Formats: sequence, C-alpha cells, structure tokens
Amino acid sequence: MKRYSKLILAVMAGILVSCQKLDIKPTNVVTEDVVFNGEAGMNVYMANIYRKLPIEDFRYRPGGEGRAGMNLHHEWQNFFHMGAAIGEMVGPFGDTYEITSGFGYWPYDDIRAVNYVLENLPKYSANFTGNRVNELLGEAYFCRAFFYFALVKRYGGVPIVTTVQNYPQQSIEELQMHRDKEEDVWNFIGEDLDKAYEMMPEKSPRGRANKYVALALKSRAMLYAGSIAKYGSVNYVDGDARAQGLVGIPAESANGFFTKAWEAASLLEGKYELYNQTPGDKVKNYVDAFLDPASKENILVRDYSKLPNLESAHSWDATFSPGYMTVGPESRAYPTLEFVERWGKLPIVDANDYPIKYDNLADLMNGLEPRLLATVYFPGATLRGYTFDTQRGLYENMFTGTATQEVAKPLDSRASITASDPNTLYNGRRIIGQAGMKRPGSPDNATRTGFFVRKYIDYNKDKSQTGLFQSEQAWIEFRYGEILLNRAEAAMELSNPGDALYCINQLRERAGGPHLNSITLDDVRNERCKELAFENHYYWDLKRWRIADVVLDNAKFKGLMPYYIISENKYIFLAERETFDRTYTFEKKFYYEAIPGGELAKNPNLYPNNPNY
Amino acid sequence: MKKLTSRILLGVSLLTSAACTKIDNYDGPNASFEGRLIDAATGENFQTSTGSVTVRLEQISWSETPVPQDIPSKMDGTFKDTKLFSGHYRITPIGGAFWPVYEPVEMDISKGSSHNFELTPYLVITNFTQELNGNNLTLRFSIDAPIGAGLPTIIEAQPYVNTTKLVGPGASIFNYSDALKVPVNKEWINMTDEDKTIEITVPDLVPGRKFFVRVGVRLNDSYKSSNLSQIVEIDVPQ
Repeated sequence: MKRYSKLILAVMAGILVSCQKLDIKPTNVVTEDVVFNGEAGMNVYMANIYRKLPIEDFRYRPGGEGRAGMNLHHEWQNFFHMGAAIGEMVGPFGDTYEITSGFGYWPYDDIRAVNYVLENLPKYSANFTGNRVNELLGEAYFCRAFFYFALVKRYGGVPIVTTVQNYPQQSIEELQMHRDKEEDVWNFIGEDLDKAYEMMPEKSPRGRANKYVALALKSRAMLYAGSIAKYGSVNYVDGDARAQGLVGIPAESANGFFTKAWEAASLLEGKYELYNQTPGDKVKNYVDAFLDPASKENILVRDYSKLPNLESAHSWDATFSPGYMTVGPESRAYPTLEFVERWGKLPIVDANDYPIKYDNLADLMNGLEPRLLATVYFPGATLRGYTFDTQRGLYENMFTGTATQEVAKPLDSRASITASDPNTLYNGRRIIGQAGMKRPGSPDNATRTGFFVRKYIDYNKDKSQTGLFQSEQAWIEFRYGEILLNRAEAAMELSNPGDALYCINQLRERAGGPHLNSITLDDVRNERCKELAFENHYYWDLKRWRIADVVLDNAKFKGLMPYYIISENKYIFLAERETFDRTYTFEKKFYYEAIPGGELAKNPNLYPNNPNY
Repeated sequence: MKKLTSRILLGVSLLTSAACTKIDNYDGPNASFEGRLIDAATGENFQTSTGSVTVRLEQISWSETPVPQDIPSKMDGTFKDTKLFSGHYRITPIGGAFWPVYEPVEMDISKGSSHNFELTPYLVITNFTQELNGNNLTLRFSIDAPIGAGLPTIIEAQPYVNTTKLVGPGASIFNYSDALKVPVNKEWINMTDEDKTIEITVPDLVPGRKFFVRVGVRLNDSYKSSNLSQIVEIDVPQ
C-alpha cells in the first residue's frame, strides 16, 4: 500500500508541473512570421509556388495512359508530348481525344497560396528593405495571373477567388462560388499582370519573374483572348454555359484584347533580342538558342538538376533520339511530313511525279532552311557521331511508275524488299535502318515518319550522359521569338501588316530563311507553327484559332520514307502515310474541357457544365 | 489450439452477424427505357451510325444538377437500356444530324417505360441508286432539306463501304470511304439543283466480295455528324 501512495504522489507531482506551456507554437509547421520574416523565408515560399506554376515543360503530360498533369517529378516518358496527339508529331497517343479531356487541372490550392501572400505580406513590411514588399506583391500577382491563365484556356470562365478562403470559419455555402464569365476572367488576368508590371523590378534572379516576364505573359494571354473572341463567336457549340457567357467572349471585345497583346509585346522591344551568337552557322545558332543558358532571348526559364537532393532532371535526350545514340530506352514521337512541309514541299519528285534520285541520304537537306534542319533531324543527319540511317527498304531496280502510283500500292505488293528488324540483311546490306522505318509490332526506337526531333536535344552531351533523368537543359517558357510572333499576329488582326512584316522578317533573318515582302494572317500563323514547334504551343493555337476541328477531322499524317535502289546506288524518298496509319479527330466540344467531375460534385454552383458535356 | 480456433470462429461469427444490418434503402437498377428515333420527314426510323445519336438522360428526381448518362442508339434507329434506376428524368436525344431538341421530354421511368422521339433531319437523302460496272461502283443520290433556313453549312458528301452491315462514319474501309470525300462547303441557300444531286464512284472493289454500302452528307453543327442513307448490299462478281 505504501508503494501505491508513492506512485500516486509521483503522478500528482507530474500533473502539477505539466501543462505549464500548452500554448507553444507547433514545431512542424512553418508559421507566417517565419515565412514573412525576410528574403530567406519568402524565397522558400515562392520556390514552392514556382514549382507548381503551370509551365508546360518537358515533363508536362497532357493526358493518355498513366499519369497526366503538370510538374511530375519522375515522369520520364517525355514523348507523351502534346504535339504528338495533333499531327505536329505522331506518337504514343492513339487519337487526339487522349489529351482533349485534360486531367482535371484545378489549382485553387496554389491560388490560395498566392492570395495568402497578397493578404498577409503587407503586415510584415518592416522585415523588408526599400520597395521589396511591393516587388514581391507584384510577383504574386504575376503568379496568380499565370494560374488563372492555365484555367481559363482550359475551361473558359471559372470562379475568380481573390481572398484567402477559410474553412470551417466560412460556411460551405459561402465557399461554393459561382463561375465568372470567361471575358471577366481574361480581363482579371490582364489587370493582375498590369499590377505585376507596375510593381516588379526590371531584373530578377534566373527562373523568377520580373516586370517584363509579366508583359510576356500578358501578350500571350491577351492574344488568346482576342482570338477566342473573334473566332469563338463564329465556330462554337451552343449550350447554357455559352448563353450565360461562362464560355465565349463577345466578338466586339476582340480588338481590345488584340490591342493589349500588341502593346505588351511592343514594350519588350530592346529589352531582349533574338539569339545570334554564331550568325555564320545558322543551324548551330538556332540549335544553341535552346541550349545556351546565357541566351539573351530567354525571358523566363525553368531549370532542372540531377543533384540527389533536387532530382528534377528530365529525359528529353533519352526519349527523342534512337536508342543507339543514347542510353535512353526509346523514342516514340516523330515530326510529321505535314509539319516539315510548313517550309514548303521537299524536292522528292520531279515535275512529272517521278522520284528524284539522290547519291546520299543526306543530300536532301541541301538548301533547306537552317531553322528547319535545327528543329528536325532529317535522314542522313548525325548526332554524337552516329548517322540517322533511316530507310524503309530496298528496290533491286527502280520502279517504272510515278511516285503516286507506287505509294497507292500496299507495301507488300510492291517490288521493294522490306523487313521489320534492322539486323535483317539482304546481300550483306541492311534492309531498314537502325533509326527506322518502324513497322507496327516492331520495337520502339525507330521513326514512323522518317524524322526525329532536334530542338532542345543537347548534342554536346556524351552518350553516357543521355540516360533517363539526366537532362538538365532549361525549359524556356517565354522567349523573345514568341513575343515577336504574338506581336505580329496581333498586328495582323489589327490590320497593321507593316508591323507584322517587321517582326516576321527578324525571325526569318535569324532562321536563315528568305525575307517576306508582303504578309497575310496565314503567313504569320505558319511562321508561329515553325518557330515554336514542339514547345507546347501548337495545341493551344489550333484551339484558339478554332480550326482544330477542321485540321483534325479524321486526319491521317504522312512521313518521308527513304528507299535505296541497289542497281543504281541511289536513294529515293516517297511521301507515305506514317507507318501506324492512325486517325486523329478533334470534336468541337473539346474547345473547352469539361469542368472536372469531382469539383462539380463538391460545388453545384459550377453548373452549367460546358456545352455538350 | 482448439480453444483458440473456436475463439476466432466466435469472433468472426460475431462480426458477421453484426455486419450488414443496414439494408440499402434504394432499389436496384430495375427500370428500363426504350423507344424509336423517328425521322419526321419520312416517318421511318432515323438512320444512325456508331457514335452518333445518343439519348441523354438526366435524373432530376435525384439531383438538381444530375450527371448525364447516355443511351447510344442502335444502327436501326432504336435504343434500349434495361439497367436504369426508377425516377423522374429529363430526356433529350442529341448528337445526330437533326435539328436540336430544345424542349426535352420529362417523364417517370420505371419498369418497361418507352417513348418515341420524332427528329427533324437536317437533310434527307433521296433517289439513292447504285450501279456496278465491273468492280467500279457508282452511287447517285439527291439531298433535300425539310427546313432550309438556318441549316448548318454542308461540309462534304461521301460513301461508306464496309464488309459488315455495321457501316457508317467510324466503321468503314478508309480507301473506299473517307478517301472518296466530295467537299461541298456551301450553305444550303447557295446550293443549286446540280449541287444537290451527287454522284460518287467507288473504284476497284475487291472482286468476289460482298460489301455493305451507304452514303452520307456531313453538316457543320456542333457534332459535325452526317445524314445517312439506307444500307444496301453490293455483291461484286468474281
């Protein structure tokens, strides 16, 4: 019993001294006063916002099998590229619909994180020197505009949330916000970017925004809004959401948006310049424009690192070149002939439709625009000492008919000799090349179109450094080349062809192409598709021009297929359907994605859903 | 050991008897809904194909903002779903080449419910004839519009050829079908009588095979779907 009393005494003593300090701060949560204590805290906070910024970079995966979305850390299949579902390339996507439904992007948590800065940082202005608080607030406005831009280009009107919402302090009903009109969201983005431009400094650390980055986004966003107003009021799907203005912008607003786009782009003149380090070698110059970290063309970049504690490196080198040139496992997305012919028809047949014979595979490249050769690897090009030996088969003797007649025959009924394995030999000669052509059923690594992507491929890397998660070249989200195209397009829409010509000829000069003397809207659009190829612009451009349902209407795409004529020791090239012969279709309702089902379930005020969903 | 086993058994049986005491208070999907889609111009069943007309159901007795569910129509212009929940529904046929139904039907659906929908097609295909010369098949037909004003732009006409009777958009042999599209790209009011009579030749059909053939005319409404002819069988001689 005595034993027990001692125990009770001990417990009592324990109780007396406990609970002294219940009101301590949690040690596992970083609190407001730490974050807003100065630059160091803000750097950490902003780093997290930038990490989630909707930059559609190498690792962005727009849909399809597996994990889709933004900022995936261990996404190696970079060939699930937006362009590969819409005919810029052909790739692993079976059809366009694999990317048109999106992946339920709904970044209101990120928007809340930004609103938190806007609401609370001013209370801590004593912790910052000079104008820093304002500069940081400007940066927050830029980030918020970027998130809304990524929302409105997918869904049209979404709820505009400008304050920090709190639950359970606020009721569910209060938090279930209604969608705003699409036009109001675009205007809101413009206003946020104006504030960002006013408040931010001219210079910023690499990878972070300054006032000119805000202008760059503004020129892009306002151009999108202008074209949606102009073309979306002609080609649209009817429905309640449209009747209420939740999707669609009145046509009369188009010029206002185009004017804002033009003004924002024009303000960047003289602040950045097109990359032109080696004007004597325009192919090398254009290739390096995407690899040189010091490029003065870059406006905003995202960097990657394979350091163990960062592990953000991507796999562009490993997944866009054939396996014998890399350590990577496979390539699966290939530029189409339709894309390449944006530069004009290739000289593969004569005036009477008979194939032109070439001594070497590489001879076809003679005289092509340097920018094209720097964007796409042609048959006969080389990388890291290896040649793209692309070849679809052999002919013992040249066929007698025209190219059109020969292509109309099924492959198996032609006189050509083909194989599906590059190691199959015919009289000691490879029948198909190691780089392709790929036949259905044979392993990946081989092209379906005759071409490989060259843009962003780091040719300086040793082969041993080209494995998965070993590519560290920066993604250039905004570059001056795009700004010139935004400005030229806005100028054309505002009936100012002189200014459009001025912009386009700067790009053509750097690209090594001929200058234009006159210009049409189609010229500007074609130039945009050439200059911004594989940079995740083409899909959004097709959408905002409202031509995706025309361009992708049971569309099939072609490749450039080289054959070797044994008796003549010559090469010919036939334009044939890519070897998978896939069909790509874009339905009109896909101009807007459906509001994600989970969000509709949580918030019925998001109804009506977009038309035809 | 025996004691342990019996204890475990006791525990399991206790858990089992305690579980499932709440019986689901909703009936299973024991209602059905079927019907015909009727072409208002001809009185016959509406010509459809895979992935075109669907009957959209919205169960408004369940929620003010119900998630829509679609019954795809069959090729013969009928539709049927036998696994529906009983309730009050808003029902709209959508997705085909007919004038939009702006006044949906609202009705109760229970066991054996049915309803026929009359749809006004954008275009009617008439005088559809087929002529086989060797292995070249010439198809001739005319188009007429029950309502001409406000008709969506006519995009193209084309044959659909397949080796099964499931033939139409999305179910055809490319070289005999999509490759033979005839672009029109005209408004109905700008079309002459000549424009409204169309002839398409399908060349080089494989000898000795039976083909199922129909023609279609596609319009630029929000679904970009086609008005289709009846399906005919063509036997190509050896």
